[in-house]
Amino acid sequence: MALVKVDNLSRTFVTRGAETRVFSDVSFELETGELLLITGRSGAGKSTLLGILSGLDRASGGRVFFQDVELTALPLNELADLRAGRIGMIFQNFNLIPTWTASENVEAVLMHQGISKADRQARAAALLSDLGLGERLHHLPSELSVGQQQRVAVARTLVNEPVLILADEPTGDVDSETAAEITSLLMPRIRSGKTAMIVASHGLFDASLATRVACLKDGRLVMA
Amino acid sequence: MLTGDVMTCALRELKQNPRRTLAVVSGYAITVAFLLVIAAVLLYSRVVQNITIGEAGTYFATWLPACGDIASLSEEDLAKLARGIVPEVCKSNCENCTGCNKKPIDLLNEGFIINTNTTRLLTVELAKKIGHLPTVRDASACLMFRFRDPEKSFVFAVAGLQPGSRAVSSTCCAADDLVAGDFAGGFTPGRMLVDAGFAMNHGLKPGMQFSIAGEQFTVAGTVNTMARTVKADVFMLFSEAERLINRRIHNPLAGEANIILIESRDAASHGQALKDVKVLMKGDSLLTSGCYYPAAKAAGLNTRLVHAFMLLVALATVLFSARIQWASVLERRRTIAILKAIGWKNQVVIQQLFVESLLQSLAGSLAGAVVGAALLLLLPVNALLGIDATMTGILDPVLFLLVLAFAVGSGCLTGLLPVIAVIRQRPVEALRRLPAS
Repeated sequence: MALVKVDNLSRTFVTRGAETRVFSDVSFELETGELLLITGRSGAGKSTLLGILSGLDRASGGRVFFQDVELTALPLNELADLRAGRIGMIFQNFNLIPTWTASENVEAVLMHQGISKADRQARAAALLSDLGLGERLHHLPSELSVGQQQRVAVARTLVNEPVLILADEPTGDVDSETAAEITSLLMPRIRSGKTAMIVASHGLFDASLATRVACLKDGRLVMA
Repeated sequence: MLTGDVMTCALRELKQNPRRTLAVVSGYAITVAFLLVIAAVLLYSRVVQNITIGEAGTYFATWLPACGDIASLSEEDLAKLARGIVPEVCKSNCENCTGCNKKPIDLLNEGFIINTNTTRLLTVELAKKIGHLPTVRDASACLMFRFRDPEKSFVFAVAGLQPGSRAVSSTCCAADDLVAGDFAGGFTPGRMLVDAGFAMNHGLKPGMQFSIAGEQFTVAGTVNTMARTVKADVFMLFSEAERLINRRIHNPLAGEANIILIESRDAASHGQALKDVKVLMKGDSLLTSGCYYPAAKAAGLNTRLVHAFMLLVALATVLFSARIQWASVLERRRTIAILKAIGWKNQVVIQQLFVESLLQSLAGSLAGAVVGAALLLLLPVNALLGIDATMTGILDPVLFLLVLAFAVGSGCLTGLLPVIAVIRQRPVEALRRLPAS
């Protein structure tokens, strides 16, 4: 059973009556322990594809299965449950909440799930410490360096131990050293065989880490 | 279900954005203080106007005008009347009238009157019924009869009153009207009060004797009743007047009067009191309205206008809170999109926004209530309203509670408005379009 199965997926935007096709006939499968790197130029539809896979966006056609459950048919609440429990997202610009501390940003994923405050704080603190941010738990994002912010974003993704990580340019806004740090944090989890990851990048992610590489070009996904 | 996490997040959100929170809370405080001061001053001005207009004329008199010339009755009916039997034609004409068989002996010169008009008779019981109306403060039966002096042939009006009644004081004769002599003494057996003009015309002074229907009365005092509703030349006890009148009519009175003097509960209920009395009186009864209507017009008493203004201020409060809540959510669209992207459900976000609205409106309203109360105590309200009254009831706790409940309620309700935006917002679009802060 594939962890993710994408079947003839398409996405079209309608703006002022004019249809714009982003991509169509996108199909692939992903197993746990795999890292699929999707490349393509800016505007090729990589982020849109990740948005659909995470349930944040709706497809215009085709289906997506996650652990044999059809994502494209799930209601909003169940999609939210999936993101809170089994699918983690890493955004290009981190998307940390600016008025919340590093610890609170990580804890946010665990809130409203019946987990006690003490437990949440302990899990966030442990993970942030593992990522070298033990001294920065109570710092606001604006008080952290770009690399530290990205590590907080990674911690927020990993804190609920997702089986699928969707990463949109995870190393896009950081220097090569920080990029290496981030990949070194994520890769062990993938190699352990418990997690799979799809990375969207226009060339800044180290392709040698990927199990497979695909390219979104002219609205088609082409496996390398 | 509201969880502890929602409250924690709401409190944290408010604490971590002190400027925004302070702006929203102060917005509520200013609005509530303004609403409170406006409402209190408007209501207070209404109370004061009611008092002022009440003094000017929330009293009146009612009576049944005479049913016409007795000569219009047939010989048979006249014969019945002489025997004390009320003819059918009279019964059907005037439901409350009891006086068809009590015609004056000197039909041309004497009779039951109010000022210059002849009247029918009513029961004293009806005056008591009117006195029990919720819109009426007091009602008093009055007998007014025009006598003719058999020697000098002049006519004069005698009013039989129930002293001590507020309605008598406001409509007919009050202790303040006394010019000379003893007011209370005028309402004792064998004594009477005389109108100052009548006294001058007939050379009467306190202590002098005056004959009415063959009985001698002592003048206890003279009064100037000025522009009161019910005017008479002589004022005396109701029972004394009743006894004298019985000497001049065909059949004796039995618990009857011809005028009912009335004072309304207050200026606000005066209009309704006039209507209520009219309903009880039935038939073709007449009412005086005193100076109420012109006074009300002059003072600009318009309850609807006051209510409309209050509604306008309340509407402004609602719009203001809606604006605040909307702005607050718009400012946080990206944060909300992030929370939804990491798995927060719509209802959790909505609950948090609602709790934030509740806490802010509650805190702002309480602060506004304190500021409003302080302003009401410090402002020279009487001077601003141009009135001279004792400041009572302006800090009405019920008004405070109502304004607080309204402000918090509208805060919560308008806090739900942005929910529409939250539900409709697609996080993927918000994250793409809105710049990271």
